[in-house]
Amino acid sequence: MDGDLQRLLDLLDQVDDAATVGTSVRLPVALRDAAAVAVRAGLLSSVTEVTVRGLQAELEQVANRAVLDEHYREHPEARPSRWEVAIAAAELSGHPLAARPELVRRAADELVRIVDDPSPDEVLAYAAGLAAAA
Amino acid sequence: MTGAPVRLVLDNEAVQALRDASHRKHRKTLAFVEAAVSRGRGGAAPVVPAAVRVEAAWDRRAPGAATINRLRVADVVLDRPGADRAAALVAALRISVADAHLGAVVATIPVPCTVLTSDVDDVRRIAAHLDVPVRVVGL
Repeated sequence: MDGDLQRLLDLLDQVDDAATVGTSVRLPVALRDAAAVAVRAGLLSSVTEVTVRGLQAELEQVANRAVLDEHYREHPEARPSRWEVAIAAAELSGHPLAARPELVRRAADELVRIVDDPSPDEVLAYAAGLAAAA
Repeated sequence: MTGAPVRLVLDNEAVQALRDASHRKHRKTLAFVEAAVSRGRGGAAPVVPAAVRVEAAWDRRAPGAATINRLRVADVVLDRPGADRAAALVAALRISVADAHLGAVVATIPVPCTVLTSDVDDVRRIAAHLDVPVRVVGL
């Protein structure tokens, strides 16, 4: 595993029990002011908490992507195809197209010709269009 | 299209399939993980109850599957309130500790969740007993 990825994962493992540190981040002024208004209105608990949560979620996401990509380099046969991921997304949320794998597969095959790297939701949206047109 | 982020909860066989690249359901389990990850910034990292991880013998320090062991799957610890809820489930349903912990977890997750399991009937029975809206997907 790449040394930087290893270090990223090690640090993410320590987030919950790590010490905190003050740091300065350049924010768009309007974004900072909007956050302050949201806290004053009781819509947010604290700007710091939301900032930390957002940064952590972003880092967790890129770390997962990197780990999965590395796993697929080691085990190419393990990589699920686009339509398999779209079916899984449908099953996760109870989407009715989960019961139409052949349609989702067709949607994935067609969509990839016109959209660069379509997401599972885009595949399902396209499949819904195919279903409606049938 | 598929709505708000859904928290993916891994049951025993899902954990075993995830950590073992030669498992016949490894690829299918990864499809669910990919679907959860692809949901973007909604905070939908997959979770595994600690007792389930123990039952599945997933030692994340094991060198055999070093890469996949580092996947950001969140452990849900068995703390005192969770242990109380799990104990009540064991008493009521005569289920395993791992299933009871899974029940305690799905009862308290604040967002919609889907359990990926090979024991669909058992998990549905637990969810019905708890009267919580849990989606159960067979692996």
